[in-house]
Amino acid sequence: MSYPSLAPFVLKRPWLRNLLTPFAGWYSNAAGYRQLGLRADDLISEENEDVLKALKRLSPQEAYDRVYRLRRAIQCSVTHKLLPKDQWTKLDEDIPYLTPLIEQIRAAEKEKESLDTLTIIKGH
Amino acid sequence: MLSRTALSRGARLAARRQGGSQLRGYAAAASSSIPTSFAYETSDVAGVKVATRDSRGPTTKLAIVAKAGTRYEPAPGLTVGLEEFAFKNTASRSALRIVREAELLGGQLAAYHTREALVIEASFLREDIPYFTELLAEVISQTKYTTFEFQEDVERVLHLKQARLASDVSALALDAAHSVAFHNGLGNSLYPSPSTPLKGYLNENAIADYAGAVYNKSNIALIGDGATPQALHKWTEQFFKSNPSSSTSSVTLNSKASTYYGGEQRTSHTAGNALVLAFSGSSFGSFKPEISVLTALLGGQPNVKWSPGFSVLSKANAAAPGAKASAANLTYSDAGLLAIQINGAAASVRKTAQATVNALKSIAEGSASKEDLAKAIARAKFDALDASQSGVSTLLSAGSGIVQTGKPFQIAETVQSINGVTAEKLKTVAKALLDGKATVAAVGDLHVLPYAEELGLKSTVKTPRPYHILSRLDFASIEQRNNPPKQSPQHNPQATVKMVFAWKAAGLTYNRYLAVASRVVRRSLKDDKRVAAERRGEMDLRFAKWENGKMGETKNLADANAAASVESAKTGGVA
Repeated sequence: MSYPSLAPFVLKRPWLRNLLTPFAGWYSNAAGYRQLGLRADDLISEENEDVLKALKRLSPQEAYDRVYRLRRAIQCSVTHKLLPKDQWTKLDEDIPYLTPLIEQIRAAEKEKESLDTLTIIKGH
Repeated sequence: MLSRTALSRGARLAARRQGGSQLRGYAAAASSSIPTSFAYETSDVAGVKVATRDSRGPTTKLAIVAKAGTRYEPAPGLTVGLEEFAFKNTASRSALRIVREAELLGGQLAAYHTREALVIEASFLREDIPYFTELLAEVISQTKYTTFEFQEDVERVLHLKQARLASDVSALALDAAHSVAFHNGLGNSLYPSPSTPLKGYLNENAIADYAGAVYNKSNIALIGDGATPQALHKWTEQFFKSNPSSSTSSVTLNSKASTYYGGEQRTSHTAGNALVLAFSGSSFGSFKPEISVLTALLGGQPNVKWSPGFSVLSKANAAAPGAKASAANLTYSDAGLLAIQINGAAASVRKTAQATVNALKSIAEGSASKEDLAKAIARAKFDALDASQSGVSTLLSAGSGIVQTGKPFQIAETVQSINGVTAEKLKTVAKALLDGKATVAAVGDLHVLPYAEELGLKSTVKTPRPYHILSRLDFASIEQRNNPPKQSPQHNPQATVKMVFAWKAAGLTYNRYLAVASRVVRRSLKDDKRVAAERRGEMDLRFAKWENGKMGETKNLADANAAASVESAKTGGVA
C-alpha cells in the first residue's frame, strides 16, 4: 500500500472484518474527503517515485478526472464550503483506481530487487 | 587430465560409433548431393508444424517462425509492434524475469522480422530445451500487451529505430524499390519511417488483435536447429497443447498474391546516395536457377578481402571508385527481386549504374564467357549451400518454407538445377529482364543520380500513341490548312507532316500527269475499242503567243507538248 494501513490485517480475519465494516463506512464519511468530491486514492501523496510512475500510467480520461476532482476540492477548500450534497462522492464511486497501479509497480520493483540479489545454487 | 592421444582416440571412437550414415552422407556429397544433416525433418506435433535438424553441436537454436511479416500486416507498424512485444510481460512471469532467467541459463533471446516472417528465437545450451520451449509457447500465447509497456518500451524503441533508419539511405532505397515493384503487400515498408502515420493504426489493442490472428497453430512453425526430434517433439506436445489452432481475432491477414509492377521512385536525402536497380527475380515457389547464376555473375562482393574482386559489378565499379555495387536475389514465397544496390558518392553511383546497365546489356547479348559462367555457377552453388549451413538464414528460410508451402526450402534440388544453367539460358534471362519493366529507386542527391530513362532501362510501359498527342496533331493539321505556317515548320516535325501526291513527287505538272494516265488507259484497251479511243484522244489544238499586242507564230499544241516533254526529260523532269 502507498500509506500505512491496518487493512490487510483486518481483511485476513473475517470476524474482525465483519465487526469493523459498519464502522469503516462511518469513518470514510467522517474523514470528509467525500464531501469535497474526492476519492480515497486522490489523497495518496504524489511526492514519491512509484506514485509518479503510476500517475503516468493512468488512462487520459482517468488523469483528467483526477485533476478535475482535485481542483474542485481545492476551490471548495479556498472558499470554505462543501459541495452540494448531490455532488458528494458516492460509495460505489469511491473505487481505488491508482492503488492497483502502485501495487503493480512495487511488485515489479520487489521482483527486480530479489532477482538482483539472488543466490545461485547449482543443481549439478 | 586427458592426454592428447586419449582425446583423439575418443574422437575416433565417437566417429566410429556414430555409424556409417554420416560417412555415407559425406560420400554422397562428393557426387553432388547434400549431406543429410543439412536437411530439416518436418512433422506435425499436436497441430504445430515442427522442423528439426541435428548437427550434434552443444547448442540449440529454437525459433517460432510466424507468417506475420510486413506483407501480411493489415495496418502499418503492427508487425514491428508485435516484434517489440516479444518477451514482454506474460500472464505468468514478467519481462524482467524472462530476461534474467534466460541470462542465468546462458541463453539469448531475439525477435526480428522480414517482409514475410516474424521470428521469435532463442539460442541456448542443448540441455535447456524444455525451459526455452515453454518460454516460446508462453510468449506467443500469454503475452499481456499492456498499455504501459506499449508506451514506455515499445513506442520508445520504435522511435529510436525509426530515427536510425531515417538516415540509412540504402535501406530507404531498397524499401522504395520494394514499394514500387510490388505496391501493397510485399511493397509494405519493412520498418515504418518517421513520416509514416501510425496514429490510428498502432496501439496495444491493435497489436493484441494482430497477435490473435498470427499466433495460432496454422500460422506458425517451430524450427529447431541442433535439437533431436525426440526431445523437441516431446516438449512441443506438452507446451504447445493449449495454443489455439486457428485465428482467435477478427483481424484478417493481408494475404494478397504478389504481382511485379516495376517503376521508378526518387527521394531527396542528405545522408548519402543509394541507387537500387531491380528486376523481377526468382521466388521460393518458382526457383529460377538462371537468376541465381546471373546474380552470382554480377556479384559485387569480393571473394578475397580488401580486393575489388573480378565479378561483373566489381569491374563496373572499378571505373568509379567511391561507390559500392552488389547484386542479390531477394527471395520471397511468391515473388523475388533481383536487386543491384549501389551506394557511395553521387557521381560515382551514377557512373557505376551506367556501367552496370551496360554490363547487363552485354550479358544479354551473350558476352559472358564460358569461364565466367563456370565461375558464376560455382559461386551460386556455394552461396546456396553456405546459406543453408550457417545459422540465421536457414532457420528463417526453412521456417518460411514450412509456413508458406508446408515443406522447408531444401537446397538439394536447387543445387541440381543450378548445374543445368547454360550460356544460352543465361542470355535469354538477361534479355528478358532488360526487356521487362525495371524498378529504379534513387535516394540522395537527385541532381546527380540518374533516371531510369537515362540509364537505358524501361521503367514505364510504352503505350502505342497516347490520346492527347493524337488530338493535338489533328488540331495542328486543321489550323495549318486554314493558315499555312509562316516560319519554318521544323520545330514540331510530327505536327506538319503532309500527304504528297505521287505525280507531284515525280515532278510532273497536273496536265502531263493526266495525259500520261489517259494514254496508259487507252493503250490497255482491246484493239477495236482502242482505235476509237485513240481517235477521240487526238488533239488538234493550236495556240499562239501574243507579244506587244501582236500575235506570234501559231503552233500545234501536240507538237509543242512533245517538245516540252523531251525538254523536261532532259532537265530532270521539272516541266
